[in-house]
Amino acid sequence: MNCLERMPLQQKRLLAAITLLISSLLVLPAKAQEPPTLFEEPLSPRIANYNIDVQLNTDTKVLTAQELLVWHNQTQSVVYELQFHLYMNGFRNTESTFMQGTGNPRRSQRIKDKGWGFIEIDRLVVGYPSDIQNLPQTLFPDSALNAMQPAADLTAGMTFIQPDDGNKEDKSILRVPLPKPLRPGEKVMVYLDFRTKLPEPSFMRTGAKKEYFMVAQWFPKMGVHINGEWNTHQFHSRTNFFSDFGVYNVRMTVPEENLVGATGLQVSVSKNGDGTATHFYHAEDVLDFAWTTSPDFVEVTGKSQDVDIRMLMQPDHLDSQDRMLESTKLAVQYFQDWYGDYPYPNVTVVDQRRGAESTGGMEYPTLFTTSTSYGLPKGVRIPEMINTHEFGHSYWYHMLASNEFEEAWLDEGINTYTDMQIMPAAYGKEANTIDVAGIKIGQTTMARAQYLSLPDADPLIKSSWKFYSGRSYGINSYARPGLVLTTLQNYLGWDTMLKVIRTYVERWRFKHPRSRDFFDIINEVAGQNLDWFFEQAFYTNAILDYTVSDIFSRPVKKPKGYDYTLSTTQEDSVVTNDENTVEEAADTDTPSAEGEEKLYFSGVNIRRLGEFEFPVEVELIFDDGEIVRENWDGQALWTKFRYTKPVRLVSATVDPDYKIPLDANLTNNSRVVKKQTLGINKLAVRWMFWQQFVLDQPDFANLLFRIGEVLN
Amino acid sequence: MWTNKRMVFIFFATNFMFGLLLMLPGRAALSGFASQTLMGQKLAGRFSFDFLFDFIRENGTIIDVYAVLFMIVPAVYWLFGLFLSGGAFAMFNSGEKFSAGDFWWNCGKYFGRFARLLLLSLPVFGVLLLLQFVWVGLERLFWGSDPYQYITYWGAWVKFGLRTISILLFGLVLDYSRIYTVIADEKRMRISLWRGIRCAFTNLGQTFGLALTLFLAGVVVLAFYNPIADSLSAPNGFVIFTLFLAQQLYMFWRMMLRLTLYSSQMHLYQRITDGVTLSTAARSDDVGLEGTPA
Repeated sequence: MNCLERMPLQQKRLLAAITLLISSLLVLPAKAQEPPTLFEEPLSPRIANYNIDVQLNTDTKVLTAQELLVWHNQTQSVVYELQFHLYMNGFRNTESTFMQGTGNPRRSQRIKDKGWGFIEIDRLVVGYPSDIQNLPQTLFPDSALNAMQPAADLTAGMTFIQPDDGNKEDKSILRVPLPKPLRPGEKVMVYLDFRTKLPEPSFMRTGAKKEYFMVAQWFPKMGVHINGEWNTHQFHSRTNFFSDFGVYNVRMTVPEENLVGATGLQVSVSKNGDGTATHFYHAEDVLDFAWTTSPDFVEVTGKSQDVDIRMLMQPDHLDSQDRMLESTKLAVQYFQDWYGDYPYPNVTVVDQRRGAESTGGMEYPTLFTTSTSYGLPKGVRIPEMINTHEFGHSYWYHMLASNEFEEAWLDEGINTYTDMQIMPAAYGKEANTIDVAGIKIGQTTMARAQYLSLPDADPLIKSSWKFYSGRSYGINSYARPGLVLTTLQNYLGWDTMLKVIRTYVERWRFKHPRSRDFFDIINEVAGQNLDWFFEQAFYTNAILDYTVSDIFSRPVKKPKGYDYTLSTTQEDSVVTNDENTVEEAADTDTPSAEGEEKLYFSGVNIRRLGEFEFPVEVELIFDDGEIVRENWDGQALWTKFRYTKPVRLVSATVDPDYKIPLDANLTNNSRVVKKQTLGINKLAVRWMFWQQFVLDQPDFANLLFRIGEVLN
Repeated sequence: MWTNKRMVFIFFATNFMFGLLLMLPGRAALSGFASQTLMGQKLAGRFSFDFLFDFIRENGTIIDVYAVLFMIVPAVYWLFGLFLSGGAFAMFNSGEKFSAGDFWWNCGKYFGRFARLLLLSLPVFGVLLLLQFVWVGLERLFWGSDPYQYITYWGAWVKFGLRTISILLFGLVLDYSRIYTVIADEKRMRISLWRGIRCAFTNLGQTFGLALTLFLAGVVVLAFYNPIADSLSAPNGFVIFTLFLAQQLYMFWRMMLRLTLYSSQMHLYQRITDGVTLSTAARSDDVGLEGTPA
């Protein structure tokens, strides 16, 4: 018999009651979990800080949310109004500025009846609590209104403005006049009740497809007040985004079975007992918050250096998980090793769902979406390219928070440049992007192909919506700056360019750099004024194209006349732009005497076909193997090189080391004295064979069609 | 087949000339663009896509030229092939030694009929192509309208296979229709078409098996040819000439294969029908057909 059995009944009852009381105390609801502090010292100014509660209705695709924004006026100006981006209103109807600018289906999707989106603010309250400095960071909207007093309900005073194009139907910018001016250094609290309808199927990076939700640009986001005014552009079809840094605490309520991925770190997940669960995420020093949810995600984790990687894969893409993880790891490694520290502890990679391809290939703070497809050959490194590029946006766009509306190249272009460095380093110099069935294509070649399709429609720096066309925007934001910066790198040297980029990252991280800031760093680090280069490359549509226009090598014949002698020394080389040179005097028609050394008068003419002036090297090869290199500043329209030697000139090449990928025509960079047709004949022979084959076996076109399907 | 080598040469020469026709404009453009540059030599080694993009940008008109050529030349080639097949089938039917006069006479004799047969058979081709959509229906039935990508991926290969079979079946129908036309000297092409369909499908195992065997033989040899061609990339004239020779030998072999197929199909048809397709008395389902002796 144990002690309990020996205990009198009354004592047993008392013990039970005490036990029950203690137990009930232990299971009392815990205090709302406080998020960890990620950075003891803020990395950024933390101007716009958001606490948001959002509930997702998976049937209607509507988010119902409450937002508490604490905005800190860190400018030197008094602010009289607030301006918000309501990006989702770009998909509201056909009359929005965004939709007016598309014309054609965007990202292969066309909005159907249920596919429109919007964001609707039901209530907006502004408050100036006296103890605003002491309010808890995790004050959520549900308890905020009391803390906001004195407060003013400004719902009726909201208006939409259209500073870019005056389109009254566009509702992508909201203006709210403040009841009292906000002086420099002061903070204001803004409480919003809003609803967001997500487009279905997804459209332009956001929306829903059945059970999959990619939720981006979904909340009223404060614009940027800079240089004494609001810099808040409408949502155009060709623009990205611009915002300030801050701290985000977001609680997302979704079906219980769903996985959630979001900006920042997960703090907690609590089941609500009604089939839903609330996921709490916290992020510091970020300028946006995006999230995704689906019950079908398969989680794959990894780590690269000090960064945790969490991939949310689609179940039918698991054949790609290794290459997706490996490419993300490599991206983290190269960016940290080469360009600077990625300060966040983690990154989330979201694999787009089939039928929601418009959500793939997009960047958000500590999260990016990627794209792959089942059965994609390993040699088609599109997922690797996307992962490298989208992770790169953690630097260019996020930490270096440039204005994507006005200077898209500063994030997309620099990112393309870093792609063009990392992809060859990670996957090989020549075939780093496509390496299948004998087809080998690298990043630089792909950038050139894009660039050459429309090289001169616009200058590189231009507001995104003002480019000649979507293609011109793409070329001048991505490919052309990638080629420009690679050309500059080859001019300055790898080490100098690396130092430039590292300095740029160190000096401008968590700020809003502009193009001139980047150029100033280049000038500073390079120790020379390169404004001549920036002016041509960034502010004009000048094309760079040097060619060897003429080449000759003919025997020198014995001269006639008085007092003329020939020499074979280097001094006889003549570099001139003057028509009256010694070449005419050397080129006579008297045959040389037998026994005398035969001499050849050789020359090349180099022309600058484009407006872009750039120093070039010229390499001349003689038939005894001698190689001569000349330098030309490339400023005049042409130059000539002349030689008298006992050997013939065989060929001449401008930019023999391929340092100028920006050159619009690499084939005309060389010229030979004697026609070279060997390669042409080989191509012709192979081309002819395939024509013969397909003529005899036309059903081969069926196979080509299938291969096209796989690669598409 | 070697006893009819002149016929093989005719088919090969046709293929060669049309291939040349499609090659020459491209070569001329390439030569004009690159023969005076180092690229003219470098292209003998590995192909440069930078060069390709330069070429396309600077020679946009060649794309237009080839767009027209690709519409016209294959159509003319296939019609000419149809023309030549009349002579070939007639030679195989007669069993006599090749005679140029007989060959060309029969080419002319049957070309009009074969052209009409081709037009009549296009709806059959359309119907056969619908075969691939059987898979589409099955996919919908079992996996709905939103299947996982591995379903659609492998399903696309199934569709590819079904399309290939459809094309082979169409070839069979056309071949046996032509064979019947020649054997029966049939002038009504709807009768020939019907006969061709009947022969092809009622003896599917034999007819399809024969065609598939020869189709696969071509594919297998191509699989051997490709690595050989890729290995012949040393930049010198002898290697390129060797490559050219290897290619043309392969194409010559393909022409022999094609004529072997025609000959085999002719003999198969004759064996299947025991030669009894020709007399009116032997056919109970044809109306008003004037037969020719077997």
